[in-house]
Amino acid sequence: MFFDLNIRGAGLENNIALASEASRYGWGHINFSYNQNEFKEGLELRDELEDSLSDVIDFDYTLEIKSTNINEIRKIANKYRNKASCISVVGGDLKVNRAVVENVKIDVLSRPYLKRFDSGLNHILAKEALNNSVAIELCFKDVLRTYLSHRSKVISSFKDIYVLYRKFDFPLVLSTRSESIFDIRTTHDFISFFKQTGLSEDEINKSFETSRNILEFNKDRDKMIFRGVRRIVDEA
Amino acid sequence: MKLKVLPPTLRKNNRYLTVEIKVMCPITKDDLVSIIWDACIRFQGELNTANFNLWVMKFFEIEKTEDYFQYKAIIRCQRGFVDDVRSSLALANRYNGDRIAITTIGLSGTIKSSQKYI
Repeated sequence: MFFDLNIRGAGLENNIALASEASRYGWGHINFSYNQNEFKEGLELRDELEDSLSDVIDFDYTLEIKSTNINEIRKIANKYRNKASCISVVGGDLKVNRAVVENVKIDVLSRPYLKRFDSGLNHILAKEALNNSVAIELCFKDVLRTYLSHRSKVISSFKDIYVLYRKFDFPLVLSTRSESIFDIRTTHDFISFFKQTGLSEDEINKSFETSRNILEFNKDRDKMIFRGVRRIVDEA
Repeated sequence: MKLKVLPPTLRKNNRYLTVEIKVMCPITKDDLVSIIWDACIRFQGELNTANFNLWVMKFFEIEKTEDYFQYKAIIRCQRGFVDDVRSSLALANRYNGDRIAITTIGLSGTIKSSQKYI
């Protein structure tokens, strides 16, 4: 099954159009992402979306934190931890990248290469991401919306991240970050693109698996006492 | 004088991609040809694009909505380069300042079988 944890959420009509198109193109589950200021309004649309999309596609919500203040990121992550099925933080700033990969309460570091001339990751951050199970997210839209030298630089950052990924095996997540129906592609096109940039088919399938694991892990997160110990209901 | 047709063993093996095009302005088949070549040359470069054996076989106008015009087309490419062409087409983003989205909805070995995706 194909998972996309980052489809930019907006109004009800736009969300329904995006979800229908995603379903037609082969996606199995999508997460609408809202930033910290819009997340509450986004959650209010859940019932109406469930009515419209119940037999079309599975959906859920991602909180996308966009801030350069580390304390603010930590506070927002704690505040919304039980409300969002996935919490991602937009990277790019080295301090933010470092703080995010060290925080177990955050699921995804989104686009660590954003507005940088390098990938925004090194061996130390890669190890931390692995230890704290923070996934690194690469977005198709960053390549789609850029061109010429900027596009090359983004793909170059992707390749740098692949090298670290192969050595340290941290969780990697691939997503489209579509804002409109013009940004969505079929799953085969999506896979073909990442194959062209240097990922193997197994690695791409593993990234979809990682997305699914994040969602499943977060369903049980409130019952987790600490890693490896979970409170279960004794039904016997 | 016309060239003699090559024997089957010397012919190139083709694959046919059925693509769906959404664009904000109306386009013709000639426009699509230039969009496809431009997308491939931009992403794969001149040298790699030379291997693709690209050709727009058929072009259909499907529907017109408030937001976009929708077309479908059958595009020929050489066997073994399907992923290269697919990814290049997926990265086409703008045409004459208007948004465009090209995505491959079907892949087949003959034109006849590719028409089931239209």
